[in-house]
This record gives sequence, C-alpha cells and structure tokens, in this order.
Amino acid sequence: MTAVASSAPFAFIRHRLARHRLVRVIGVRLLTGVVVLWGAATLAFLAMHGVKGDPALAALGPDANPTPEVLRQIRLEYGLDQPWYVQYLTYLGRLAHGDLGQSYVLRTSVATAIGQQIGQTVQLALSAAIIAVVLAVVVGTLTAKRGPVIRSATSGIALVFASMPSFAVGLALLVAFSFTLHWFPVSGNQGLASLVLPSFAMALPIAAVLTQILRASLEDVLEQPFILTARTRGMRDAAVRVRHGLRHALIPLVTMTGFVVGGLLGGAVITETLFVRQGIGRLLINAVQAKDVPIVLGVVLFAALVHVVVNLIVDIVYTAIDPRIETA
Amino acid sequence: MWDASSPRPWKDTKDLMAFTHSRRDNEPVSPRRVRARRRTSVIGLALLVAGIVAGCSAPSGGAAPSSSADAGTPVKGGELKVATSGSDPGCLDGHQISSEYMQFFGRVIYDNLVAQDDSGKIVPWLATSWDISPDGKTYTFHLRKGVTFQDGTPFNAEAVKVNFEHMLDPKTKSPLAGNYIRPYQSSTVVDPYTLKVDLQYAYSPFLDVLAQGWLGFDSPKQIQDDPASLCTKPIGTGPFEVESYTKQQSVVVKRNPDYDWAPAYTKHTGPAYLDGIEFDFVTEDSVRYNSLVSGQYDLTTAAPPENAAALKADPQFTYVNTPRTGMPVVWEFNQSRAPFDDINVRKAFRAAVNVPAVDKSVGFGFLYPVDTYLGTRTQFFDPSTKGKFSYDPKLANKLLDTAGWTERDSDGYRTKDGKRLSVVINVSDPTTQPLVDQIQAAVKKVGIELVNRTVTVAQATQLRYAGDYDVISGAWHTNTPDVMYILFNSASIPTPSAPGQNLSFTRDADIDAWTQEARETTDPAKQKELYSKVQKRLIDIAPGLPLYEYSAVYAYNNTTVHGIQSVNTHPVPYFVNAWKSR
Repeated sequence: MTAVASSAPFAFIRHRLARHRLVRVIGVRLLTGVVVLWGAATLAFLAMHGVKGDPALAALGPDANPTPEVLRQIRLEYGLDQPWYVQYLTYLGRLAHGDLGQSYVLRTSVATAIGQQIGQTVQLALSAAIIAVVLAVVVGTLTAKRGPVIRSATSGIALVFASMPSFAVGLALLVAFSFTLHWFPVSGNQGLASLVLPSFAMALPIAAVLTQILRASLEDVLEQPFILTARTRGMRDAAVRVRHGLRHALIPLVTMTGFVVGGLLGGAVITETLFVRQGIGRLLINAVQAKDVPIVLGVVLFAALVHVVVNLIVDIVYTAIDPRIETA
Repeated sequence: MWDASSPRPWKDTKDLMAFTHSRRDNEPVSPRRVRARRRTSVIGLALLVAGIVAGCSAPSGGAAPSSSADAGTPVKGGELKVATSGSDPGCLDGHQISSEYMQFFGRVIYDNLVAQDDSGKIVPWLATSWDISPDGKTYTFHLRKGVTFQDGTPFNAEAVKVNFEHMLDPKTKSPLAGNYIRPYQSSTVVDPYTLKVDLQYAYSPFLDVLAQGWLGFDSPKQIQDDPASLCTKPIGTGPFEVESYTKQQSVVVKRNPDYDWAPAYTKHTGPAYLDGIEFDFVTEDSVRYNSLVSGQYDLTTAAPPENAAALKADPQFTYVNTPRTGMPVVWEFNQSRAPFDDINVRKAFRAAVNVPAVDKSVGFGFLYPVDTYLGTRTQFFDPSTKGKFSYDPKLANKLLDTAGWTERDSDGYRTKDGKRLSVVINVSDPTTQPLVDQIQAAVKKVGIELVNRTVTVAQATQLRYAGDYDVISGAWHTNTPDVMYILFNSASIPTPSAPGQNLSFTRDADIDAWTQEARETTDPAKQKELYSKVQKRLIDIAPGLPLYEYSAVYAYNNTTVHGIQSVNTHPVPYFVNAWKSR
C-alpha cells in the first residue's frame, strides 16, 4: 500500500480513478483467492494422504468388524482403490463443478454436513469477534497513557487472559456462571442464553491481545504533536482519545482482527466441544480423527474462503478509516 | 478390539451368576468403571486436571430436588435430559454404524426379535417363539402380532426379511450388524407372522446376536422408499421415535404413543412414561460430571472415574458400574513376531505386572481387575479359570532367563545376541497414558523395554490391521461366548481384505476346532464344555495380559429420575420404564 495525499482541483478525477482501482483490486483479490483455495485444497489433500491410515478402515470406525464385501464396497464407492493422484484429480474435477463430494463417515454430502454446522459457528464467531473488539476498544481507549496502577493492572489481566487456553477460560466460566450460579445453561444452541458463555470464552483471550495492541498504538498516537494541538484548543480528554487518537490507532487493530477471525475457527473446536454446541469445529475434529478426507478438505476450503473474504474486507476498511491509504 | 480407548460392544450373555445382583435399577453395584472413549485427544489430560479443580469448587447439589416421596408411583410426562459421552455417531441407523451409542439408543428407537433376561437367557420379544432345526441351519420365528413401526407400517415376516437383507447389502456398508449375521443365506415368508431363515452353516450365536442394539428393525417402507433418511430419522418399532437430530449436538426423541411391546422382563406395559428424551453429546468428562451435579442433566453415560467416589458418596445420585460381556480389557500380545512368538516371554510379561494395584491406581478404585480372557459375566464363563496366574516377578525373571534373554545392556534391559528385549505399543489416546506408564515401569523391572509409540487414531487403526505392534490394548463386547471365535480363531486374523479381530494372532488348532464346533452345536451342555476348554487353553498360551472388566458406567439423579433399568445385553440404561418426578 502506498499513501498518497489527496489535494485540490482534480479531486473528482482522482476519486474516479480510485474507484476504478478499487474494482480492479477486488478483481485481483478474487483471482488470487481462487489460487489460495486451490493451494489450500492441495496442501490439505497431500497432508491427509501423508498421514498414515487406511481411510476405508477409518471410515468404518475402530469398533467395526465388517465383512470383506463391505470393505470392498467402501473402497469402490469412494474411489479409495485408485492411486492418490487419480483421487486428487477426480477431487479437483468435482470441485470445479462445485461438488465437495461425499463424507466417508457421515453418510451425507460434504456440503450438507458443513451447511448443517455453519450457522452455529458463524453465530459464535461473530458474537465472539464483536465482544472482543468492543472490549478491546473500550478498555484500550480508557486505559492508554493512564497512571502506572491502572496500566499494570489491565496489562496483567490482559496477559493472564491472553496466555490462558480458551478451554481453561471456558471451564472457569462454566464453573462460575453455570455450575455454581446457574445463570446460563452449560449446553446447546438454545437461543441467546446458551451463546453468552461460549462467546465470552472465545472473546476474552482475543480481547486481551487486541487491547494490548490498540493501547500500544494509541499511546504512540497520543504522543503526536497534533494531539497536543487538539488539547491546546481545549478539547476534552475523552474527545481527544476518541475523535483523534482512536481513528489513527485503529489500523493495527483492523489488521489484527483479520488474523483473529481466522483464529476463531480454530478456537471454535474446543469451545464447541466444551459447550456442547453444533459447529464446524466439532465437525472438523471428528473428521480429522476418522480420516474423513472429504470433510476435512471441505472445512479447509471453507476456512480459506473466509480468510480471503476477511482480508478483502480488511483492505476495504483501511480505506474507510484512513482515505490516504490506497489498497494495492 | 482395538485400542483401549474404545472398547467394543456387543453381544452378551446368558447364564451368569456373577453379577446378577447389580444390574437392578437402583442398586449401584460396586465400583469400577471403564472409560470407553475416543476422544478429542489433546485436551483430555488438561481437562482432567481442570475437572478435578472444578469438581472441588462445584457444590454437590444444586438440582431442584423435587419430591422423592412419590418414588413408587410412575408419573407420566416430562422430558429427560441425558448427557452422552463419545462423539456423534454421524448416523442413527443401527445397521450402518458400529458406534457404542447404539447399545442404549438401539433400545430407544428399536426393538429386537429376542431379548436377554436378567439371567442372560434369550427370551421372546418381537418373536414370541422360534424353532431351530436339528442341524442348526434353519430358524423359524413366530412373530408377535399387532406390532407397528412408527410410520404405521406393520411389523411382520416381510419386514424382518427386508431388514436382514438390508444389514447384509454391501451398499449399506454395515460395519457390524451385517457381519454378526454373515452366515445368513435367505429367508422365506411362510405366512405374514412366520419367517423361516436359512443359514449357510450352523451358527448357534445367531439367536444371541439378534438381541443386540445394532440389529433392530427399520421400517421396510423407509428402507425401500427413502433409504437416505435412515441415518437422520430412522423409523423403528421402539418406545420412542426420533423427533430431531441436530448433528454434533443432540438427538431428541418423543414417546411412541402406540407402543405396547416391551420385553416381559421389564415388567412394563403400554407406552413409555416420559414424553421424550434429549440426548446431548457431551464429550468432556468434567462438563458431564458437573452438569449432572448442578442439575442440568438427569443422567450421564460414562460417568468419569475421577468423580465416581463423589457420586457414590452422594445419596442423591445413583452410580451404576456393570461389566460388559465378551472380552475384558486385555493387552494382547502379537504372537506373529518376536519376541512374543515365545510363550515364555508372554508369560513373563503377564507375571511382571501387578494388575490389581495398577487398576486401583489408574481407575481411582473403580475398575474390576480380571485374570481371565473372558469377561466374568459372559455366558459359559468358567470360574475355575480364575486365579491361574498372578503377579510374580521372580517367575518372570526365570522365564526370561529360560527364553535366553540373559544379558543386560547399560540401561538394564535384557538382551539376546546383542538385541534388546523391546516391545512396542501404539498409543493414540492420551488418557490411557497413565496405564501405559505404569506397565512400562513394571516390566522394566524384569528387563523388558516397553516402547510407547504415539500415533493418530487413523494411524493406530491401520497399524492394528497391519499387525505392526507387539502389544495392543483390546476389548470386545458381544453377548455371546462366540467372542472367543471372533478374537482367537485363526480365521479371524486380519488380512488386507478382511479386518478380522484376532489381533493376538493366535493360531491354535484346538481353539480353532473348539470354537467352530461350539458354533455348530445347539446343545448348551456341549457348548459349555467346549467354551470351557477354550478358556483354559487361553490361560495356558497367554495371548495377552488381562487388565480389567470392560464396564458400562452411568449415573443419574435419583431424586428426579426413577425406573431406570439396565439392559442385560448391553448393561446401559433402558428408558422404557423411566419416569420423572415433578
């Protein structure tokens, strides 16, 4: 990205150019997105084949005692009797037609399996992301450049949450608010009440990291001469922080948020298991264990897609926050 | 069998005097437990620790203790909330899965042709009687009239025939049910309520396996018209029907209002009392325990062993821990390669471990130690085979000397011709690590190195069927002594095209002959004699180290839940008689 100061008379031309450039940029991003998806699918495919274990046997489960006919049927039906490169090309061919294939284990199509789980994961990830960002902005803005007591207290708390695994946070929340106080249910996708604890379990560690980043960059900004100028104009502290400081400090936060959204999917594995929620995370972990290759590939593709889209959004948001930035 | 993480199910038994007391509903048996699990690995141990912490801080109680005064009179209505361990089986059709889930869920939505009563005897259920031809190859079932599937389709001879064919159709990809009736050849509908079944060869376990949870009956209409829906909403004849199946989260069932054919031993008539049951997949032990204690669930399966003592001590909870039939948890020795091709090494390993002490330590006192290769509740278990060997490190050392492992290397392990006495176990479940560590330490004392190879679940499965291990942890639950054929007949040795379960690679001409002969005779006296000989031979050839009973464990809140019965076939909770006080 390059920063270009915009100025006067031909501004409208510049704007049109900028819009044109934005469209082009989005086009390029989408193209590279396709490459990213292909790369992700290929890597995941190779990784799954690199892991030892006959998927036909794995598909039947460890408790299985099938007849030879059943084993043959499974190999035949899923093409597992073919060499790996034939399986790979077949997979890509189907993918080009938008077909993610059939799960070996779940007796359903991958699209259906993911479709059943996606809503709950998106719900959880979004609410966790919102909580994390709101917490980070509020706490970061309030505590930047404060006295040593406030700073080290919030730093300390943030450090604890940032270093706690999310299952430990989740378990602590469960013990306090579900098992002891009975405020929230332990389990299920039963409306808002059952969304609260898992969202916080996922949000707190993320909020901790984001708070630290935001505060650091906010403290840099608050050192700048223009802040001093604003203050000398008699602006109140809160207004200085929000109107002048925050806007400048948001860029690193937005960058990090892009990374974090990707991380939410990983965090979902543990959170969903702990809180007995439906979701992509649980689907993925079961699939990895059972070597259910089509499901794993489907989820990886989905994650890659999310990554591409989120980064695109992040780039667009940059421009909104700071018009000097051109996305290139 | 397979690795300790997940035991397998099925089959059970009939006679047994041993534990009959325990299976009654409110009588928790003595302690023990087994953990059956395939779990989301990494988090396991950490959660265990967290769980102990949580266990300390959580109050024991919390539940709304509704009046237990009405404990005697069943109340109709209410929904039971059940936390089930283990992950989503992915499919609810018993014919298409091998998941342990079907041990209890098979009794929720399905019924079987036959049942096993408290003594383990095969008794009528949907078949009111049957005749077996003298050659043991033809079974004629007389079916109960007036039974219907939940979609209104009548249950009759044609329905049974369609179901047998469905189990065996390769397209069903049955991992379990199909193989249990593999000798099935064809069925003839004699009249609407009489079915003649011809087997390819005499197979006396046939009747036993028909009582298993995986061998219930789907609506023939569904099998023929809409097989795709079998996994998500199977239509059976059972006391409850599937209302919703939220993948990776829960299964909700509601009462089948037409139900009136519970097996006689349940002493239940008419529909179930409960309006419905919600079964949630709660895979984390600590969450299952705490949510039971805090009143969010009424019953939990696989109550965690670390919490067993707390549950037993609290009069509000009933803790049930019953050995399954079949093969207990045994560390099987791979006899197809060195060093366990040498009987002296096998016996030495078996003598080097103080099993009761190890069980006590890893099971918090809730495991039932065994010293036989057949679970003590299994039909034709021979009590005289108990106590034939015990912890004896001196003997172990002597046997290893005899086997020629006389030198020691710098690490203190025995060697022969410069080669270390070393055996490999593949470990895919981190929760079994404490057990592995203890046995590793025990055998080291007699100079055997136990190498712990950490692998993924899928890898473990492949290594298992490829025979790439020296020691493998197994257990196999089935309701017939034919388990000895499944595990120790040389015909059950795995090959690339047929993943058999003889993972100790036992090749013993007598065992082959006896287990085969026992299949072919329908004379119980003869079976008893043959199976007794097999059990004794197993003690002699030492195909593994027996560790503990493979138990089914569950716990429930007895102030709100009543009438829970254990099924004999699989000693898991049965809900037809269950009711909730309000």
